[in-house]
Amino acid sequence: MTEKNSYILKGGRVVDPARGIDTVMDIGVSNGKIVDPAKIKNPEVIKVKKLVVAPGFTDMHVHLRQPGNTTAETIATGTMAAAAGGFAGIVAMPNTSPPADSAGTIEYIRRHTELYAVVRVYPTGCMTKELKGEEMAGIGSLKNAGVVAVSDDGKCIQNHELMRHVVEYSKSFGLPILDHCEDAFLKGEGVMHEGKWSTLLGMRGISSASEELMIARDIILSRMIGWKIHIQHVSAKESVELIRNARKRGIMISAEATPHHISLTDDYIKKFDTNYKMNPPLRSEQDRLAVIEGLRDGTITVIATDHAPHTATDKLVEFDYAPFGIIGLETAIPVCLTELYHEKILSLSDFVSKFTVGPAAILGMDFGTLEEGKPADITIIDTEKKFCVDASKFRSKSRNTPFNGMEFRGKAAATIVAGRFVFDEIGK
Amino acid sequence: MSSKRRLCNSRKMDDAIEGVADAIIAEFSRKNEMDFAFIGIQQRGVPFARRLIEKITRKTGFKPQFAMLDTSMYRDDIGMRATLPVIRETDIPFDMNDQAVILTDDVLSSGRTIRAALDAITCYGRPSLIRLAVVVDRGNREFPIRADYAGMKIIPEDGKKILVEFKETDGSDGIYEIDWSNPTKGE
Amino acid sequence: MEVNWTRKDLLSLYDLDPEEIVLILDTAEEFKKVSERNLKKVPALRGKTVVNFFVEPSTRTRVSFELAEQRLSADIINMTASSSSLQKGETLLDTARNIEALQADLIVMRHSCAGAQNFIAKNISSGVINAGDGAHGHPTQALLDLFTIRQKKGRIAGLNVSIVGDILHSRVARSDIWGLIKLGANVTIAGPSTLVPRDFEQIGVRVCHNLKDAMEGADVINLLRIQHERQRAGFFPSTNEYARFFGLNKENARYLNPDAMIMHPGPINRDVELDSALADGPQSVILEQVTNGLAVRMAVLFLVSGCLKK
Repeated sequence: MTEKNSYILKGGRVVDPARGIDTVMDIGVSNGKIVDPAKIKNPEVIKVKKLVVAPGFTDMHVHLRQPGNTTAETIATGTMAAAAGGFAGIVAMPNTSPPADSAGTIEYIRRHTELYAVVRVYPTGCMTKELKGEEMAGIGSLKNAGVVAVSDDGKCIQNHELMRHVVEYSKSFGLPILDHCEDAFLKGEGVMHEGKWSTLLGMRGISSASEELMIARDIILSRMIGWKIHIQHVSAKESVELIRNARKRGIMISAEATPHHISLTDDYIKKFDTNYKMNPPLRSEQDRLAVIEGLRDGTITVIATDHAPHTATDKLVEFDYAPFGIIGLETAIPVCLTELYHEKILSLSDFVSKFTVGPAAILGMDFGTLEEGKPADITIIDTEKKFCVDASKFRSKSRNTPFNGMEFRGKAAATIVAGRFVFDEIGK
Repeated sequence: MSSKRRLCNSRKMDDAIEGVADAIIAEFSRKNEMDFAFIGIQQRGVPFARRLIEKITRKTGFKPQFAMLDTSMYRDDIGMRATLPVIRETDIPFDMNDQAVILTDDVLSSGRTIRAALDAITCYGRPSLIRLAVVVDRGNREFPIRADYAGMKIIPEDGKKILVEFKETDGSDGIYEIDWSNPTKGE
Repeated sequence: MEVNWTRKDLLSLYDLDPEEIVLILDTAEEFKKVSERNLKKVPALRGKTVVNFFVEPSTRTRVSFELAEQRLSADIINMTASSSSLQKGETLLDTARNIEALQADLIVMRHSCAGAQNFIAKNISSGVINAGDGAHGHPTQALLDLFTIRQKKGRIAGLNVSIVGDILHSRVARSDIWGLIKLGANVTIAGPSTLVPRDFEQIGVRVCHNLKDAMEGADVINLLRIQHERQRAGFFPSTNEYARFFGLNKENARYLNPDAMIMHPGPINRDVELDSALADGPQSVILEQVTNGLAVRMAVLFLVSGCLKK
């Protein structure tokens, strides 16, 4: 890693959607902040010609597994993977072991983040104690401990009255809700999308209805209470439509899509490879196209990975018994550039916004721009570089990717956090 | 490059089969027991047996019974060969017990097919006597098995093997020498 | 055109070409004759070790495989979930690797999870024969059904075959559907809409929800066993009601062609999905299915064992 205090990123294409900038210009960095390049004395010049210089990307949906399951991932390896994938910040989900349902766990995460993390880690707290969906967690104390949002990710509060109280209570502390929408009965023992392939393969399906139903519930509560509910990993066609209509009516609903739901479909399951097992599941081609359309028309404002590390031992089992989840930090930019930018679905500026202003707006934070005076969190991208995924080279401690061996176009070239290069492949 | 060199035309091949028929008639009429049946080993022992039956019936008026036998299930080299033999039909329409039978095959080489055929036959009954007739005896025995009747004896060059073709299975009669590696034909 | 068998595993009929399915059926014809002789044994698998690894319990299929293996002269080891280390927390893959390390040539495997055999076959060098995986497949059952239909009707292409019952949870139905479609039959599936997914229409299967439609014009009717636990899961209200609307009985049997074959993979719930008298009647081929199962399994064992790497 390069240790530089003051430097100029010279000749790059600066894409900063927060300020509507997409032009070739220089960016100055000094003492960890963005500065006017003309004001730096004797700067080091870093040539970034033909590269895209964007505000530091933030992944709104990451499982770091620490505390609890450090054989799958740690704060150190997870943030190294984030850096290598072009992310300057990540939002850490609270379903650790123990779950982040108290200030003590948040304090543990904060301390370990200071010691080991190479990118910014924004912790979240649970909505309910032990993620059980039964009693509200100490949301006020969590806020004081530093969480940026609350979520029961991996689970979904089934009791609508409790959910209503959680939303109302979180509103009073200004904490947005990040909800994993899933009706537990409709999901049942499902292991993949319910549709043609689950029928042909004889596997238990997870119907799109299980997602749609809870999204509809959240829309109703959001409208009623007037507070922000962010729908995590939208996967089904009709879910996108529900969110689109809600947003048109001014309801405070936002949504994220994952790289895998925009690039893969349920027919991959026929190989019985557990690296294609995640929740929500890979759905049909129609669903995939609808999610992409949601990104294109602005219904979905965030791309997040749902980076969910699992050890090879945990994944090398019968499909039914394997845990849900795949990792995504080191493949997100290549996959999304290929599927969205090179396929001409999104402009580069819109693409960048899904990782910058999108998350910032939902969390109510002021990251995600290259404005002078802001912390120098920068993601530098080579949009043309061929990238063949080799999971054995990942920084993540886990290897559970569905993209191994696939080739993509475009990749992060460098990641800068507070002026410091935490990942640097410029010129390599 | 695979080569296929003709050693006998159809007339010479028919002469050889005629010779086998005569030898069989001679032996059994000498013993005054003109009662025997043929078992053709799949695949080319089958047309050979039919030819012999036709000739013997014409010459003596006695029509031997006919059976066919596939030896694939009895081979000792399953899984050692590049491709698995296709199992062909086995049809033994008569009681083999106390019956004199003549096994027929196109070429006697290592003797392994005949060993498998003997195993197979004992699963069906206990013949009073078993003889072996082949069109070509090519030497190169690996088992103590020899032909009682052979139309001719041909020792091929190293790396070559003998192929007997019948109109019924191959379109025309003829005896050829081909490369051992030729995967499509022969044993 | 002659086809060669080149697979070390038999995992599902979905993977096979029609020619490969026909090769298995033709090979089975010859093995059927073996079982009709006085001496019912051939040495084809002499020196080969076959492990019957039944992670999900089974009696019929296991007995059929075991007898087939004995008739091929294989050495046989039987393992069940309770006799293996799976109960001690060993992973399935570790158990399979241990079987492989004992130089087992073939593993005949049943498992309650779809795709478990695919997963094992990909990770070990021993041949794997699927003896049923969850609701995914039961290829040897479908092969014996095809064999029985071909034997009785002389062909499969163009026949109207109806499969009635719990299609959703049935591995037999899935394998039958693939085998029948590949060999050119017209397939109808029927049963309550909770148990007969419409998605099968996407591969050319006719879907109906009443028994009469499935019976009329059928050359073959295959009735599946209805599981009582599906009632508890709310797929239908009661076995009585199921029998009333979807059971084949003397009264509705008049909709069947007189020469229609009645099949059932067993074990039968007598007088639920199938009337007792019909099960034992002249149209029933249920016991012939069992006999043919042996021949088909011998053929599969023989073909697969010929493709194992040395």
